Amino acid sequence: MNLPPEFWTYLKVVLLVATVPAIVGFVIVLAERRIMGFMQVRLGPNRVGPQGTLQGLADLLKLVTKEDITPARAERAVHFLSPVLAVIPALTALAVIPFGPPIRIGKQMVPLWVADLNIGLLFLLAITSIGVYGIILGGWSSNNKYSLLGGLRSAAQLVSYEVPMGLSLVSVLLMTRSLSLVEIVRRQESTHLWFVFPGLVAFFIYFVSGVAETNRNPFDLPEAESELVSGFNTEYSGVKFAFFFLGEYTGMIVISCIAVTVFFGGWLPPFSHVPALAFLGFVPGAVWFLLKVAFFIFCYIWFRSTFPRYRFDQLMALGWKWLIPISLANILAVAFAILLTPRRTNGLVALSWIYGGLFVMMFLLSKLRRALVRRDRLAASGPAEAGAEV
Amino acid sequence: MALKRWLDRITLLDLFDGLSVTGRHLFKKKVTIEYPEQKKLPSDRFRGMFRLDEERCIKCTLCAIECPINIIYIDWHNEKNAEGKNEKVLDRFDVDLKRCMFCQLCEEACPTVPKSIWLTTKTYEMAAYERNEALYLDIRKLTDWNAAPNVKPFTVVERG
Amino acid sequence: MSDEPISQAEKDEAVYFAERAKAQGAASPGAAPEAPAAHTLFDVQEMELNFGPQHPSTHGVLRLVLKVDGEKILEVKPDVGYLHRGTEKLFETETYPMGIPHTDRLDYIAAATNNHAFCLAVEKLLGVEIPRRAQLIRVILDELQRISSHLVWLGTSGIDLGAVTPFWYAFREREQILDFFEEYCGARLTLHCMRIGGLPFDLTPGWTDRVSEFISDLPARIDDYEQLLTDNRIWKRRTVGVGVISGEECIEWGLTGPVLRASGVEWDLRRAKPYECYEELDFVVPTRQGGDTYDRYIVRVQEMRQSARIVRQCLDRLEPGEIRGKVPRVIKPVAEEVYASIEAPKGELGFYCVSNGTNKPYRMHVRPPSFINLQALPRLAKGHLVSDLVALIGTIDIVLGEVDR
Repeated sequence: MNLPPEFWTYLKVVLLVATVPAIVGFVIVLAERRIMGFMQVRLGPNRVGPQGTLQGLADLLKLVTKEDITPARAERAVHFLSPVLAVIPALTALAVIPFGPPIRIGKQMVPLWVADLNIGLLFLLAITSIGVYGIILGGWSSNNKYSLLGGLRSAAQLVSYEVPMGLSLVSVLLMTRSLSLVEIVRRQESTHLWFVFPGLVAFFIYFVSGVAETNRNPFDLPEAESELVSGFNTEYSGVKFAFFFLGEYTGMIVISCIAVTVFFGGWLPPFSHVPALAFLGFVPGAVWFLLKVAFFIFCYIWFRSTFPRYRFDQLMALGWKWLIPISLANILAVAFAILLTPRRTNGLVALSWIYGGLFVMMFLLSKLRRALVRRDRLAASGPAEAGAEV
Repeated sequence: MALKRWLDRITLLDLFDGLSVTGRHLFKKKVTIEYPEQKKLPSDRFRGMFRLDEERCIKCTLCAIECPINIIYIDWHNEKNAEGKNEKVLDRFDVDLKRCMFCQLCEEACPTVPKSIWLTTKTYEMAAYERNEALYLDIRKLTDWNAAPNVKPFTVVERG
Repeated sequence: MSDEPISQAEKDEAVYFAERAKAQGAASPGAAPEAPAAHTLFDVQEMELNFGPQHPSTHGVLRLVLKVDGEKILEVKPDVGYLHRGTEKLFETETYPMGIPHTDRLDYIAAATNNHAFCLAVEKLLGVEIPRRAQLIRVILDELQRISSHLVWLGTSGIDLGAVTPFWYAFREREQILDFFEEYCGARLTLHCMRIGGLPFDLTPGWTDRVSEFISDLPARIDDYEQLLTDNRIWKRRTVGVGVISGEECIEWGLTGPVLRASGVEWDLRRAKPYECYEELDFVVPTRQGGDTYDRYIVRVQEMRQSARIVRQCLDRLEPGEIRGKVPRVIKPVAEEVYASIEAPKGELGFYCVSNGTNKPYRMHVRPPSFINLQALPRLAKGHLVSDLVALIGTIDIVLGEVDR
């Protein structure tokens, strides 16, 4: 029987809204704590379920049963609504992301995205900007000047880092000439070139801006525990705090999904045009997508456990003084590469080789650098300590 | 070194170095000891729960004198024993565990060989839900740990 | 800004603030006569904040009263005393050996050094000579404590600035050191591992082998921490140029320890006034010239490596022998006063002892390095941001047990 297309759309929306928060709560929270623990030579939580799988449920139950506090002179309506404002944009952004190629269900081809807007990328940038409201209003409505400061700082950070994010996506736009995310994946398929290669610089800038967008380490000063206040979510407890938490982690998922779609080929298996590796195509596209997104979430966790955090003024300086000029220069480079060989991809391929070569050279320079560091350290420790004598 | 500073600025290698350290540790052996299923074995000299041997004790009260916090309370009186000689009999030997700092000065002061009061019992699990009764050890609890239900002996170490 | 006429109320307000600023300027005679900032209708008010006794980053119960202008710190007033336990008074009511467990609780991260300083003071009063084996083992215990204390500093400093993993790695090493101490004297933290005249116990069999293995592994582990932090640009951004203090100022304030050595003054009691057997040991005193937080970090990491060298040399020199000198059973020193100090991990830890011929000291005063180094915090913090304050408290490396006694 032929179900109307609206049915599938509604079903997909329901599935997204039902599963993504569940995945966040159960999988990502546990994964973050376990993986961070493993990187810190300790086991993470492993008591609650087998290997700790029910830890998310325990956290959820705890948050849901906590007392819901609203500060005395806070604006009740805004206090109530700001967590909602933090979550809804993140969930809405998932609507345009293509999770896989269209699949056959019964007699119909059902696409694995809720809507293929022809302004998909623009929609995503716009929606994530609305998420900033949740943070500002959350900080303001708590009637606590420190929360307000934390919220304002967080909002300033988010707004500043949207510019390099947008600019790095513009350089990808030049390669595809379309804002639709499905079209971007199709272009990567047809040109046999994942856009991460010509857009290596763009990818790094995008991912760094993405980490800053979601207030994660090393850019998590506004909500750090060792600072004077806990930022905009100080006065929130229980379900409202759970919503802020959910919004942040869903934002992580959204940034990772965009990175995968735009730079890493979306649902495409690697080397899709090489016949010898066609067996990789047996794995469904949606699974490839999930694997790639999982890798990026792992990168988020990896960053969190490794780096110290930037001070706020240094953070802003990084965004405005470094990322924006570099992304602008990158746009110029990509445009030049495209114009060299219009209608063909050779220019872009050449650019990919240049970027790849620079990357490799950076690695070789690291060997040199490490040798210099070792020489300096030996010189500083005293003449008697040569090699590994101690 | 100017070369190194220049290299530092244009490469991101310090960040990748840091990532590689944590990445390596992801696969190393984890050091967590999952208490209470796994426990660490205390060493032989570990200063833990008290134990008193009433027969060895000569009631010299040196341990009470040496204690920096004065938490040992000893009372004794003289009694004629079977041979008609004066013998000291313990009335009270209390240790207030709430305030003890486990410094072992009482054990060091004890002149008998082997010691009559000792802490090297490898026992450290003495938690209780309420403090005053459970953590005030009278002579029964000191000599026979069965009377102190909150003490979980690791091994009951008798000084031989 | 719109062009509306300014109301009378706003004019009065501007006049009020202008007069107040002038009055404040005149009231501080020592301050340089600055022209008051051009007065807009928005006046800047300073905020007084309480960096309370309960705070995840103050390393104990330290209260700081901050005067901030937005984010910039104008004034810091430490308010200490939350951990005061009357230790010096307790010394007066107890005999000399009974006082040693109390010294454990001063700098509880490095308890052996406290015991050592106390014992040195009393041994100086008594004129006791400590046998060589006891000297070597005391140095080994001290240096292990130095490594342990610096590991705690490294971990907590990292966490304050956002790097959460060095903490766990550092505590993995520290766990091994604590195990060594537990095997030697029975406790992990409050050690009571030295007695007047020497040591309470001899080493257990195999202890030296285990310590030797640990010392061999340590430089690789320290390399790991350095790879995570030393060249990391974010770490350098947070620490370079933060809290700069010059060598002369350090001497004026009486700061000692790594703080002094990072400001260019090469003063280490182990080299300048050697005690125990430090004269014959070969080690480098790490010194840096900059005087900022990064330099203090480098100095402490280098000190860890040098401590490992010292322990290796002491282990090589160990021979069987006595572990306790000839000390009378009841310690009644001659009535005189003495000051003995050692290079503790935090600085110069000294005990000033006045005895009056009885078995209890008349006065036993502690020279706490953390307390004296903490004095410099207002000087270091002036002009920095609140986010840097956390880094500064960490870099001075205080332990509240010592600050408050």
